[in-house]
Amino acid sequence: MKRTITHVEDTVVLVSKSVTRFVKSPAMKQVITYIVSIAILLFLWEMASLAVNAINQSRLLPGPYEALSQVVKNAAELQRHFFASAWRLILAILIALAAAVPLGLLIGREHTLNRFISPMIYITYPIPQVAFILFLFLVFGTGSATKVAIVALVLFFQILVSSRGAAQNIDEEHLTSVLSAGATRWQVYWHVTLPATLPEILTSVRVSIGLGIAFLYIAETSAALGTGLGTFIKAHMLYARDLAFAGIVAMAILGLVLYVGIDLLEHVLCRWKYVRRRPL
Amino acid sequence: MIDVESLTIDYGRADRAVQAVERVDFSLEKRRSLALIGPSGCGKTSILFALAGLLSPSNGTIKIGGEPVTGPRREVALILQNAGLLPWKTVWQNANLSLLLAGDYPGRNAGVILHNLGLAEVKSRFPAELSEGMKRRVGIARALSTAPSVLLMDEPLASLDTLTRERIQDLFLTLWQEHRFSLILVTHDIVEAAFLGQEIIVLTKQPARVKATVVNPKMGSLDYRQSEAFQRTVHDLREALER
Repeated sequence: MKRTITHVEDTVVLVSKSVTRFVKSPAMKQVITYIVSIAILLFLWEMASLAVNAINQSRLLPGPYEALSQVVKNAAELQRHFFASAWRLILAILIALAAAVPLGLLIGREHTLNRFISPMIYITYPIPQVAFILFLFLVFGTGSATKVAIVALVLFFQILVSSRGAAQNIDEEHLTSVLSAGATRWQVYWHVTLPATLPEILTSVRVSIGLGIAFLYIAETSAALGTGLGTFIKAHMLYARDLAFAGIVAMAILGLVLYVGIDLLEHVLCRWKYVRRRPL
Repeated sequence: MIDVESLTIDYGRADRAVQAVERVDFSLEKRRSLALIGPSGCGKTSILFALAGLLSPSNGTIKIGGEPVTGPRREVALILQNAGLLPWKTVWQNANLSLLLAGDYPGRNAGVILHNLGLAEVKSRFPAELSEGMKRRVGIARALSTAPSVLLMDEPLASLDTLTRERIQDLFLTLWQEHRFSLILVTHDIVEAAFLGQEIIVLTKQPARVKATVVNPKMGSLDYRQSEAFQRTVHDLREALER
């Protein structure tokens, strides 16, 4: 009997130790942080909803329960709009990256090119690209290509300016190190410029996600018809706000998924940033 | 043989040029060692970068093996102040970088050198995971991977604690004797110059000019630091610097 009790006690200790180890692991900590943050946001939303509805004596602002119920009830329709918006945003980010990173790194490192191109950036960057939406719709129609082009245009400048700044701030010792070994210009870009600037480029992509979603919403709501979360939200905001807020939740999920994706990508591509000195 | 004649280096445009180095002359026979010592910021590194082909002299000539230096060369390796390691590359990738850039990797690799320097176990680590002493050893492994005939070192032991610095000075001495390259060391540390330089050139404040040359014929053994000759060289260097 005593042996059985000891055995049970040992098992309990072992299980509790395993649970503690699992809970304390960095990945789990990150998951717990996300869950707590989401719970706090939902609580604040509920409070805001109660306050707004009490002041207005009507159901003006749906609470998280109503919105999330609509997400479940309309999952199929939301999914269609979610994927329409998601691929537009991802495609726009990829186009912006492909165009802005090489150009940003070039003008960051090549002084002559920087002298000629920087004034063009200073003139065009402050122009609100949103001003061109109607013009682009008139020229190219209201299809997905135009919506992607608008978001890509906005993100292009964001990533271009960050890449250029990152390329200008590369540690000279890293450059001297490869130049003294006879590196060609192309080798300097491949072995130093690109990896040295990658963390800042990924940070600018993170910033771009929020900006991209905002401009995607504008682009989608500017066109009369079509798919996409922007269109869905606009269509329901006046008469079925529960549904409109379900669309907003879906947009938040889209942003979260992309943020987490970029974080994972950074952990893979910039593993060196996450290591610490350890003994032999 | 390395020949430096009337080397002058100016920075900036003609009307606002700052002279970093003024008419410096020296020569170094094959497999010998030379230390350049002078106050911080006097222009020592500019001389070394010109020897590495990274800077063009404003005047004067530099020849290595009878050929004028016009750019980086395979037989000349440079070790920088903080070892010049790329943080995003592992020890193995850093050590093989010069070979890779020259197109020799993977046909040749730095495996044996890493093993001899006690780095084989950490070859998959990033520089941030290493102690300062280990980082310097990776820098040395990279420099030696191409079997250079000339090794240039720009204050390679700055910011290290005394014991680590002495251990790596011992390692430099042993490697210099084993690999038989010509060694040019730039430092502001009198003890380091006296331990590693067969000849030591004392430079003035900017612009760097040759102020004195101290010969140090008895260097070359690991216990040289305990000798009277070493103390005498240190004393001579201190006097020359203070003069």
